[in-house]
Amino acid sequence: MRKLNVRQICFWLAAVLPLSRLIVYPATLSYRAGGDLLWPALCNLLAEGAAIALLLLLARRTGRTFFGLLRARLGEGAARLAALLLALFLAAAAVLPLLEQRGFVLQILYENVPSFLSFAPLFALLLFACTQSLRALGRAMDVALPLSAVCFPVLLLLALPDADFAALLPLFGRGGKELAAAALHSLPWYTGAPCLLCLIGNFEYENGCAKKVLLAYAAGGAATLAFLAVFCGVFGDIAFLQHNALAQISKYATALTPLGRIDLLFIIALTLVLVIAVCVPVRLCVDCLENAFGGPRALHAALVCALLLGLTVLLDPAFREAQAMLSERMWPLFALFGYALPLLAALLLRERKGRTGIPPGVFAPPRRRRSAPPAVQAGGADRNGRTG
Amino acid sequence: MNRLARKALLFAAGLLLLLFFTNNFGLIDIQKTAIVTAIGIDAAEGGRFDVTAQIAVPDASGADTAGNVTVRGTETVGGAVAELNRKTGWFPTLVHCSLILLGENIAKQDVFRALDYFLRSEYVEDSCLVALCEGSAADTLGANSPIGDLASAAIEKVLSAEAQKTGLVCVTNLRDFAKGYFSEGKSGFLPRLSPLQQAKSEGGSGQSVGGQEGGGGKAGGGENVFDASRTALFARGRQVALLETEETLAYNLAVSGTDMAYGDVRLQEGEEEVVYHLKMNIGKKSRRLRLQGGEPVLEFHIRARAQVVDASKAGTRTEIAETAIVPDAVLRAAEARFEEELRAAADKAHAGGCDLFALRQELHRFHPREYEALQGNLLDAVRIVCDIRFETMR
Amino acid sequence: MDTNGTQRQTFGADIRANIRALKEALPAEDILVYEFAAGDGTACAAVYADGITDKELLGGLAARPLAAAPAPKTLDGVRRRLLFPEVKEADDLPAACKEILAGNPALLVDGAKGALVLGTKKVSLRAVAEPQTAIAIKGPREGFIEDVKTNMGLIRRRLKTPALRFVMLEVGRYSRTSVVLAYLDGVADPKAVRAIEARIRAADIDGVPDSSYIARFLARRPHSLFKQSGTTEKPDILCAKMLEGRVAVLTDGSPIALTLPYMLTEDFQSAQDYFVSPYRATVSRILRLFAVLLSVYLPALYVAAQLFRLRLIPFGLLVIISGGIRSISLSPGLEMFFLLAVLEILVEASVRMPKYVALALSVIGALVLGDTAVKAGLVSSPAIIIVAIAGISAYTVPDLTGTLSLVRILFVVAAGSIGPYGIVLLTALLLWYLVSAESCGVPLLAPFAPLVRRDLADALYKADLAALDRRPRSLRGKNRTRLRLRPAQSAPSDGSETKQSAPASGSETKQSAPSGESDLKQNAPSGGSETKQGAEEGPNA
Repeated sequence: MRKLNVRQICFWLAAVLPLSRLIVYPATLSYRAGGDLLWPALCNLLAEGAAIALLLLLARRTGRTFFGLLRARLGEGAARLAALLLALFLAAAAVLPLLEQRGFVLQILYENVPSFLSFAPLFALLLFACTQSLRALGRAMDVALPLSAVCFPVLLLLALPDADFAALLPLFGRGGKELAAAALHSLPWYTGAPCLLCLIGNFEYENGCAKKVLLAYAAGGAATLAFLAVFCGVFGDIAFLQHNALAQISKYATALTPLGRIDLLFIIALTLVLVIAVCVPVRLCVDCLENAFGGPRALHAALVCALLLGLTVLLDPAFREAQAMLSERMWPLFALFGYALPLLAALLLRERKGRTGIPPGVFAPPRRRRSAPPAVQAGGADRNGRTG
Repeated sequence: MNRLARKALLFAAGLLLLLFFTNNFGLIDIQKTAIVTAIGIDAAEGGRFDVTAQIAVPDASGADTAGNVTVRGTETVGGAVAELNRKTGWFPTLVHCSLILLGENIAKQDVFRALDYFLRSEYVEDSCLVALCEGSAADTLGANSPIGDLASAAIEKVLSAEAQKTGLVCVTNLRDFAKGYFSEGKSGFLPRLSPLQQAKSEGGSGQSVGGQEGGGGKAGGGENVFDASRTALFARGRQVALLETEETLAYNLAVSGTDMAYGDVRLQEGEEEVVYHLKMNIGKKSRRLRLQGGEPVLEFHIRARAQVVDASKAGTRTEIAETAIVPDAVLRAAEARFEEELRAAADKAHAGGCDLFALRQELHRFHPREYEALQGNLLDAVRIVCDIRFETMR
Repeated sequence: MDTNGTQRQTFGADIRANIRALKEALPAEDILVYEFAAGDGTACAAVYADGITDKELLGGLAARPLAAAPAPKTLDGVRRRLLFPEVKEADDLPAACKEILAGNPALLVDGAKGALVLGTKKVSLRAVAEPQTAIAIKGPREGFIEDVKTNMGLIRRRLKTPALRFVMLEVGRYSRTSVVLAYLDGVADPKAVRAIEARIRAADIDGVPDSSYIARFLARRPHSLFKQSGTTEKPDILCAKMLEGRVAVLTDGSPIALTLPYMLTEDFQSAQDYFVSPYRATVSRILRLFAVLLSVYLPALYVAAQLFRLRLIPFGLLVIISGGIRSISLSPGLEMFFLLAVLEILVEASVRMPKYVALALSVIGALVLGDTAVKAGLVSSPAIIIVAIAGISAYTVPDLTGTLSLVRILFVVAAGSIGPYGIVLLTALLLWYLVSAESCGVPLLAPFAPLVRRDLADALYKADLAALDRRPRSLRGKNRTRLRLRPAQSAPSDGSETKQSAPASGSETKQSAPSGESDLKQNAPSGGSETKQGAEEGPNA
């Protein structure tokens, strides 16, 4: 019995993963690309979508996990090494979301600067979540979707009246080089593909799986782009001052004036989704460590959470430097694990002939149907008039 | 659950309870919090600031009164806010600060020297209203409202979204003002508040509004109402012009979110001048910058419906019955008046270097290739074309 | 004792020895021996427990027939003489002792080897009445009582099908409490039935005073804050749950029946939902969910807003609150904690206090704790309102009230110490805890997590009865179809009566729990005819 359902993967891609890109990323992108922020985002979304498609191709052709495939093709040592490297990458990939969430929580949920003890319990939660099965993670996505599906559109709708979409003009006002740099420096926010790589083998590839997953990803991507467009429309030239974009766009709705910041309730609900989002790479990191070293999951979880706690404490006072390091200097690492690795995995690890029972999917080669022989009518002639 | 996990859970629970009961987190209790509802900033000597905070002081019955605390001679607004804590013993919170009032004298310099504190601060929302006031902000915040409101509450009512809809006020918030300042046009506007002292009758009742325009009575001493029908125009953070009431109305009807307003039209009928008070509904309006042979042309296209609400002469029975049908002459006079005021507003703005209609921004967005060539003297070179038509409201 | 000194385990033909053996095995003074003679002078005796035996029946149906004629020489002959339906032979001495202790006397006849057990138990029981914990405005008003046999009868009356099975178990070394598993064969998941039976059989305890003890053995997470089996006191609700595929557990001595598998959404369903319009039922369910969220989150949000995030409170309300708490010496968190503690004390006291002081104490609770406490500056009015709303809201879901009050306090502590993020983290923690919890293999949060869309029709909202034609997929039961709509035959034009054709199964059955609409027919699950082989499994993930 598989631990995850395709539906839950779709929910993650459509409703949880996009939210993790809506905290600091919009302001950062706005700083680098100005009104052309949609183009680098679109490029990254398309690239990540392609990587996800490749991984679905891999999933279609095998029922094993990524590490199982490596074990079968390259041996135990290679599998363990890959697992360790992937674990380190996922831990690094979790640092930026954690720091962003720390800043988000600090600004949006508090009015005076609370001590780090306000944020530290998150790591206790991460520890607990990492000791649970992947099934629990999948079910959490089932809960996250309705929260996201209700609260996110509400915030967007509240922001729409204040959005001047002309702020997105002129198109390609920034040069190609700047946009390319913006796209490359955005890679730390696009870690969906390596996470999906770790999930392969944990869900049943069913009929139409690829279509559903890619559609879900497209929906999530569209939501991200819509948000970026509204964000740029609402703030225009001061967009890059707006950190924690998710909580900033909806506060101008005049209809809310008598009720106060009721949008904060929706934002608090989305904070829950953000917590779920940050659990994904951490939980998968623990999975990778289990594959690399074996042993009890709780021990690996404790190690990973302790490491992340330490990094967060260390890097929190230097968020800008940490972000610059991860996005401007370490982007090749994210490119390697985010795009190159899925490509290599899809090309090198797919199982070839002999695999039976694969349901036809988007990538299945078209089957040729043999037409039935024409019926021969009484009198010896078939319906085409031929006889014999 | 194994023993280690149980111990960890007990420890965490104990820590949580300790933190809960000691409340010793560095957090500030609501009872020690000064809720600042408005901030007034005046320019002091030597480039310093006098900052006045209006603090809501609720009494036991829940009714709110206000106390104003002024910190004088600080180099930064942030420093003044910090000093509030020292002076009052309370921790000021600006999350409910919904009004930033700038004194008249601060508008002579770049107001963003003061305002950017609010943009830097993560705890002041940039949805707060911003306004310029006549005289000093401290005096304005100290005014008494005749209906018992706090001065800041009374000012916010004058600057509310509903007021914007009537067209008599140009309302702006910090975000919009900052957007304009940091845009290509580097311009913006703020409503200019004039406190008007109410005339007191001998009988002590039946107070009436003085009806003074511009430079009315000073705040304080009596009860004040606020007039915000004039608009200060800013370029690069400095005030460069002032729109009068009619010009403000014309600008609102043409550009901002006003869809219905009242205005006067004067018409010579025979030997007497008749004043018609019209209700105007804007049906369709658009504003476009286009290039015609390399020349920038700003086009206003406005369609409106009007209805006579009152006239300064007594009407006949038929005229009263057909008040919804506005005579053509009146409609044409309204068009002419509207265009005149709109042009006056544009001329005033452009003369002072204020890109009131965001022309540079529009040029950059829609005509990026011509932007570099034209943006330097765009305000001087632009030609205004008005296509305004009024119809009678039936 | 036999000649070797060991306790005798079987009955001989000597009545004296048998009586002696029974008295040695049951030395309590309420175990009495009624000795009488048969028609021919043969000694007979009935050993019974005083207080739980129907002596009139014993005398009339056992002693009198034997006294009227010579005593038979065999037990079989004695049995035929008695003409009483509930007569069985005791296998051995311990079995006879067990029956005597259960209220069924043992009949001994001199010369006849063995003993007969007569079913003349008479226990004082209360009448079947409406349970106090599940008042219904519409619908049946019967409730279970403490006698498991009566409860079984109440179920049998509603499910007149051979598929209804009862598995009799006994739990408790000293109490020997009867525990009965009830399920519908062909509907309930056999794996769940076996698992439940195994867990009950494995229970090794001195006594079982209530079904909650059994629930403890059935729980997969015994220390959980959340219950892991459903409970009900109403037979109509129980039958409805059994028809969905659940297994019922009845405990002798307890009016509360358990149902498994359990899903959290069950507690948000009320029997009333099935007797009123589906629109009204949907609104009620959403209201219950909203009330639960209010009950849990409102006090915590209030504390968090005052301590950490004033912006959550609209300015006008903030001024009122601020004015109201000016003279309060306690911090908002402590004030709320104090009020919640007082609320719990009031609830606890109101359950236990004698009725004649209830009125006086309610006045004290309302006036003293409410009005006077505010005037004395101990607490503020807004806090009292918050606590009152939270307390009342919890009672929209009575089965979860205890859990909610604990969870509420946890949230207040989290909000008061960590702040709004503490509320978020605690919610996430509870969420993770609940999504990983299962009851007999069924996730606790089904059909929300994992999402089972079809089952949402009776979870998130209440669909029309016609739309609930399938049993919940989450329960992994067999025989999915529970409702087939057939068009009603129109009356013939000549006015003669027509008989509706009988369905293939040969009998019409009507379900008692949801009130039937006359043109709907439901097929009882017969042995295999409706069962779909390889029926879809419940949600895996």
